[in-house]
Amino acid sequence: MASLSATSLSFKAPSIQSTRISQVLRKASTFQSISFGRFQSSKSLRLQISCAAKPETVQKVSDIVKEQLALSADTALTAESKFSALGADSLDTVEIVMALEEKFNISVEEADAQNITTIQEAADLIEDLVQKKPAA
Amino acid sequence: MRISVMSQMQRSFSIDLPSLIPLQLPSRRHTHLWYVIPDEVKSTSLLKRYSQLLSQTEKDGVDQMRGDELKKNALLARTLVRTTVARYQTNKEVDPRSLMFKKNVYGKPEVDWQNCKNCNHQPLHFNISHTDSLIACGVTVHVPVGIDVEDKERKIKHDVLAFAKRFYSADEVNFLATIPDPEAQRKEFIKLWTLKEAYVKALGKGFSAAPFNTFTIQSIPGTEEGYSLCKTSEVTADPLEETKKCNGEWKFAPLELADSHYAAVCIEDDQANEGAPMRVIVRKTIPFVEDQLISERIFL
Repeated sequence: MASLSATSLSFKAPSIQSTRISQVLRKASTFQSISFGRFQSSKSLRLQISCAAKPETVQKVSDIVKEQLALSADTALTAESKFSALGADSLDTVEIVMALEEKFNISVEEADAQNITTIQEAADLIEDLVQKKPAA
Repeated sequence: MRISVMSQMQRSFSIDLPSLIPLQLPSRRHTHLWYVIPDEVKSTSLLKRYSQLLSQTEKDGVDQMRGDELKKNALLARTLVRTTVARYQTNKEVDPRSLMFKKNVYGKPEVDWQNCKNCNHQPLHFNISHTDSLIACGVTVHVPVGIDVEDKERKIKHDVLAFAKRFYSADEVNFLATIPDPEAQRKEFIKLWTLKEAYVKALGKGFSAAPFNTFTIQSIPGTEEGYSLCKTSEVTADPLEETKKCNGEWKFAPLELADSHYAAVCIEDDQANEGAPMRVIVRKTIPFVEDQLISERIFL
C-alpha cells in the first residue's frame, strides 16, 4: 500500500514538472520566433496578405455563390470553382458582386468585378478592398 | 486513301446525320436569330453526335461544367454556334467540325476564317447567349451583333430599384421608379438588362469599355418597340447637368422567344443603310433534326 501510494506520488510530480517545463519551453520558442524570426513572421504575414485570402472569406464567398446560383447545400465548392462552370451568367455575376459588397461593406469597381471568375479571386479582391478601407 | 477518307466522312456524317439546309447570308441590317430549347433535345445518341462536332478545347470546356444539365447546355451552345455558322457556307465541303474560332483582343468570340480549311471567308458576325432553358445565336453580315436572352420569370435576389441604382444609369433608374407594380418593374428591369447586355456584347470590348451606368437605353417616344442608346457624359461645367449624346449608331430589337424569354438584338448601324429598317428573322432549331421559321419582324 505504502509503495503504491509512493509510486502514485512519484508519478504525479513529474507530470506537474513537465507541464511547467513545457510551458517554459513554449515561451522560449515564441520568444525565439519573435526576435530571431521577426523577419520570418512579418515576412510570412506579408506573403499571406498578397497571396491567398483567409479560409473564412472563401467560405463566406462560397455561401453567397451557392445562394445566388441556387446550388444544393451539398454542392462541393472549392476556391478554384469557376462561376461560369457553376452556371453563372452575367446577371448572376453582377448579383454576386452586389451581395459581396453588402456582406463585406465594400465597393467594387466595374473593371475589378469583371476580373472575378473564381471564388478565390472574389475572396482575394474582397480582402484587398477591406484592407484598403480607412480604419473605422 | 482518298476514297477511304471520303467513306469515313460519309459514315460519320452524311449517313448518320442529314446535312444542314444551306442558307443565304442575311442581308445588311438583317439579323438571323436561331434558338434551341435544351429540354427538347433528349436523344443521347444525338447529343453524342453533337459532341463529335466540337474541338478538343470546346470539349474540355463542356467537361468543366458542373453537373449534367450544365454540360448538356454547354454542348448545345457550341453545337448551335458551329451548325449555325456552317449553314451559311456556300462550299459544301465545309462541315461544322472544321470551323475554327478565336477571340478578339477583348475576348469576344469570332470565326477564325484564316485557319479553317475549305472555308469561304465571309463577313459574317455572330453572338451567342444562353439561359438554363434557351440558347440563342444571332448572325449578321458586315456589322457586329450582340444578343442577350433572359428567362421572363427570372427572379432578382436584390431589390430591383436598389440593384438598378447600383448598376444602371440615373435615367433608367428614374424610368423604373415610375412603375408602381413590382412585378411589372421587375419585367422592365429584365428587358432593360437584355438591351444593355446586347449592346455591350455588340460593342465587343468587354464590360469595362461600357459600364452599365455610362449609357441609357430608352424607348423612342411614339414607338412601341423602338429603343435608342444615349451616352451619359459629364463634360459640362455644371456637374449636375448630364449631357446626353443619343446617337443612331446602334439599333435595337427587343423580342420575346418561345413565350418564355425576353431577348434583345443589337447591331451597329451600317451607314450604307441609312433609314432602312432593322429586320430580325427568328428560327427555332434542333440541329440536323428540325428547323422552324418562327417570325420575321421589322424594327424601325
